[in-house]
Amino acid sequence: MTILELALFAVLGPLASFALLAVAWPLRHSGRPAGVISAAFALASLVSACLALHGFIDGGETAQVHEWPWLVSDGQVFATLGAQLDGISLSMLVVVTFVAACVQVYSLGYMAEESGPAQGRYFTWHSLFIPAMGGLVIAPNLLQLFMGWELVGLCSYLLIGHYWRKPHAGYASVKAFWVTKFADMGLMMGIILLFATTGAFGWDVDLPAGGVALAVPALLLVGVMGKSAQVPLHIWLPDAMAGPTPVSALLHAATMVAAGVFLIVRAYPLFLGAPELLTFMTWLGAITAVMAACTAVVQDDIKKVLAYSTCSQLGYMIAALGSGALMGGYFHLTTHAFFKALLFLGAGAAIHAVHSNSIHDMGGLLKKMPVTGGLFIAASAALAGLPLFSGYFSKDLLLEDLLHAGAHVPLGLLICAAGLTAFYMTRVVCVAFLGQPSEKAEHAHSAPVVMAVPMLALGVLAVVGGFADTTLAGLWGVEYERHLVTPVGAVTTGVGLTGIGLGWICFGSGGLAGLRAGVAPVGRFILSGPVDMFWDTAWRRGLAPFARAIAWFDRYIIDGLINITGWATLRAADGLRVLHTGRGPDYVFAVVVGAVLFAIYGALGL
Amino acid sequence: MDPILDLSLSTASDVPWLSIIVFSPLVAAIMLIAIPGASRAMVRMVAIASTVVSLAGSLVVALAYNRGEGGYQLREDYPILPDLGVNLSLGVDGWGVTLLLLTSLIIFAGSWATWTLKDRSKEFYILLLALVCGVFGVFVSLDLFVFFLFYEIAVLPMYLLIGIWGSSKRVPPAGVFKKMLSGFDLGGREYAAMKLTLMLLIGSAFILVGILAMYFSAGGTSFNILDLEAATYPRALQMWAFPALWLGFGSLAGVFPFHTWSPDGHASAPTAVSMLHAGVLMKLGAFGVMRVGMVLLPEGAQEWAFIVGVVAVINVVYGAISAMGQKDLKYIVAYSSVSHMGVVMLGAATLQVDGWNGAVYQMFAHGLMTGLFFALVGLVYDRAHTREIFQMGGFSGKMPAVGVFFTMAALSSLGMPGLAGFVAEFLVFLGAWRAGHWWWAVAGIIGAWVTAVYVLRGARAIFWGDGPDTERYPDLKDATGTEWVALVTLGSCLILFGLAPLLLLEFIDVSTTDYLGRVLEVSLADVGGAGNP
Repeated sequence: MTILELALFAVLGPLASFALLAVAWPLRHSGRPAGVISAAFALASLVSACLALHGFIDGGETAQVHEWPWLVSDGQVFATLGAQLDGISLSMLVVVTFVAACVQVYSLGYMAEESGPAQGRYFTWHSLFIPAMGGLVIAPNLLQLFMGWELVGLCSYLLIGHYWRKPHAGYASVKAFWVTKFADMGLMMGIILLFATTGAFGWDVDLPAGGVALAVPALLLVGVMGKSAQVPLHIWLPDAMAGPTPVSALLHAATMVAAGVFLIVRAYPLFLGAPELLTFMTWLGAITAVMAACTAVVQDDIKKVLAYSTCSQLGYMIAALGSGALMGGYFHLTTHAFFKALLFLGAGAAIHAVHSNSIHDMGGLLKKMPVTGGLFIAASAALAGLPLFSGYFSKDLLLEDLLHAGAHVPLGLLICAAGLTAFYMTRVVCVAFLGQPSEKAEHAHSAPVVMAVPMLALGVLAVVGGFADTTLAGLWGVEYERHLVTPVGAVTTGVGLTGIGLGWICFGSGGLAGLRAGVAPVGRFILSGPVDMFWDTAWRRGLAPFARAIAWFDRYIIDGLINITGWATLRAADGLRVLHTGRGPDYVFAVVVGAVLFAIYGALGL
Repeated sequence: MDPILDLSLSTASDVPWLSIIVFSPLVAAIMLIAIPGASRAMVRMVAIASTVVSLAGSLVVALAYNRGEGGYQLREDYPILPDLGVNLSLGVDGWGVTLLLLTSLIIFAGSWATWTLKDRSKEFYILLLALVCGVFGVFVSLDLFVFFLFYEIAVLPMYLLIGIWGSSKRVPPAGVFKKMLSGFDLGGREYAAMKLTLMLLIGSAFILVGILAMYFSAGGTSFNILDLEAATYPRALQMWAFPALWLGFGSLAGVFPFHTWSPDGHASAPTAVSMLHAGVLMKLGAFGVMRVGMVLLPEGAQEWAFIVGVVAVINVVYGAISAMGQKDLKYIVAYSSVSHMGVVMLGAATLQVDGWNGAVYQMFAHGLMTGLFFALVGLVYDRAHTREIFQMGGFSGKMPAVGVFFTMAALSSLGMPGLAGFVAEFLVFLGAWRAGHWWWAVAGIIGAWVTAVYVLRGARAIFWGDGPDTERYPDLKDATGTEWVALVTLGSCLILFGLAPLLLLEFIDVSTTDYLGRVLEVSLADVGGAGNP
């Protein structure tokens, strides 16, 4: 099979299982068989994607683009769908299908206790996700990328709402859709402006200098800020944790939220024309990284910690791309996909074991579930950027590039965020996995094999994935040389170790109570969710009453005016009715008057 | 250029397919008169058989239409009043193919959705089929006199359909006109039927004036649209005749501020009538504005395009925000139609190929989507006996399929790629931006976001959450038996035409290119600027 066929099968294959599960309702309602089918297709998709990448490397790494007509105008095809197969898309496709396959297999265990129809529904939407995300990844132009982008948003909406009976889940899924769609307005405007300017949806174009060169990437960036959860449009991501934990691992940590970063990597030629926007991105990413890391420190819900951590890490990637660190940002996306997915799956196993999201209900889980605990700690180390773990390679690389780009303040912010990251992960590990088992954790049991195996697979990559750097650099066509010992790396490691040490003192050994009491008000302020409150007020005090006012206006003023026309007609008729007396003499009188008037008219010869 | 997707039937046939499509509902309606109303099964069978005939006919017409050639095809001519130049002259263009397909799909789905109607179902089907005959007739008539007759046939039965089979929900008068409104039964079905009919008939008067003006100006020998197209009209005439046609047809397309018949009318109408009215009849208006108003009066169109566009922008945004302020499910869907028809008019106002293609595509996509919406609303109302969305909740527990299809219609209306609505909206916004009015596109995109807000809020309020309260809603159950037909037909078409837009776009494009070429060939050099008065 050709690379194209393999890639298309990887993307579209799961569509078959989606269609099957969507239509064949007895199969869907059966639950577990539906899950097995879906997971089998995901695994086939992974194999196919790997073969495609292998074929690409064997074939001398020549990029190929295939396009099929999709829209016509004036008899000419102007929009196409297709596949752009190169190192960037194929490596991302492998990452996506790998995490998706792991998550689906894991879900077979995680969702086993749910009812058949619920499982069936869950796996149906999961089957839709791979085609949506795959379509985005192999997109040869921004139009197809946008379509995949919206469809992954749809999967996110549907999967966050899996527990649709819980009011919170409904709220969270609608909120996620609203916020990302709000940002997507920018993306759509950007795409249309790009087309209106260049006559195509491609990214390899030179925009005319001037306003357009800034406007197009700026509008695209708005979309990115929504999908990749950058301040102040990050508010949907923590709420999205209302979905099942494997969903959070796949969509809201590893792949979907990284779509924004992927978009920037793809459309980088467009961004290069707007240096001021790149500077803005560096700052935006750095600020998001620090803010989200601060918020993560005070969360008690293990998934919320990880969600804010995801925001924070996405901030790193955006900052890196802003400073020109294309390789660093994209590499961090890859390693982050592995270790953050693993963290979520580990958290899921812990939640599964203790039936609570709160880290305080856990405790001592390492003894109860050593595999999960060990993997979670390893993934935390990768996230904290301990040397030789995968996160170290990518984080060091992107921070190094920031230094070279001269972005010193953002660099400082990101190093602070690295310390905070190490601190909050140490907190989670100490409270949830070390120490004494809490009451709920007493009965924890280790994860079943079907959940453990995918975690192990991710664990391997989370630990050693960093050593794939040279291979990936080759695939992406970047000049790259591995530096393991760098000044920035040393500083970051030092800061990270300090964070771990402080975390251990605060939460492992119970020290520094005074410090904790001192920062408590800060924690309370952060927990009050100031950004959330702003948006919430904008909706409740602004848009919703405005809409009701407009509805009232339409009902009683606009329609009122229409009705007044009817009323006036009726009143006029009432007025004229007095002329119709029904008495003969009156009519004769009118006839005579009329005749006389005519006679005068005729006589005057007018 | 050869079509990309070649599905054409190669055999030319002499079967008068257009007559069959147009008159099969009428024949069925006449047959129904002879059938005793007590035999409901027979009544339904005849009605549905005629819709199947029209649907099959429309598919044949679509396959027989040669997209490489374009223009009017499958012509049929029968003289009526040759002295006045009035003939029954039928023919179909690319737009016509699209709208024939839409109409036959909607009436097919709608007649299944009315399966359970018990009250005077014979009379109901007679009026419904007469109405459909009118709709088909408008889309394939080349003779404007006959066109106008069909147009009236399509509009008038609505009065009885809403007045007899409709539902009422009274609204207390308020606001500055409170005193004057006290005499009206606001929200009542008779009121809604009366308002709808009067507003549309006033619109018809404008249309008639416009058509007659063109007829006499062109020499008074022929009502044939091809002859009228060949004539040139004085600028002064175009300047007043175009707005007459725009507002006349526009009142049926829900153009602001003449849209207020739509919320009341659609809310009061029975299910199949809402489906047909919002799904198809509103398109008659938009089709009229474009095919008759803009193509025959190019100078008027260009001069007025800016105004038409601005009003369309108001429609899109104002309609969406009004929908957001509603609590009644039918009003939400009805206002969403006002907003979405604004997208059609916005596309028309761009005078760009993409914009026009998008406008016609939006007619099709919105027809399917709103038809599906009203079918679902009918199902929900049938079982819940209320339309207040905030009193519902958790309905998915009892009616999961209804929830899924509702979500699908919602997604199409907010422009989710993969469903038909996205193609249409994207083309329209593209056209608007290229027309030089970037803020039209921006407003349209904002309208799409507001749509996302209110449809998903509605879906959540009805289908998500705890519940349903079985004491309050004892009759909730999922779609059954014949009700599936409408849902599956319309839902699968939304997906099909969302994924493979070329299936339709090639039809639309060939006519758009032809007509827009006519409109734009009129030089505006002496007027200055395109569209900006």
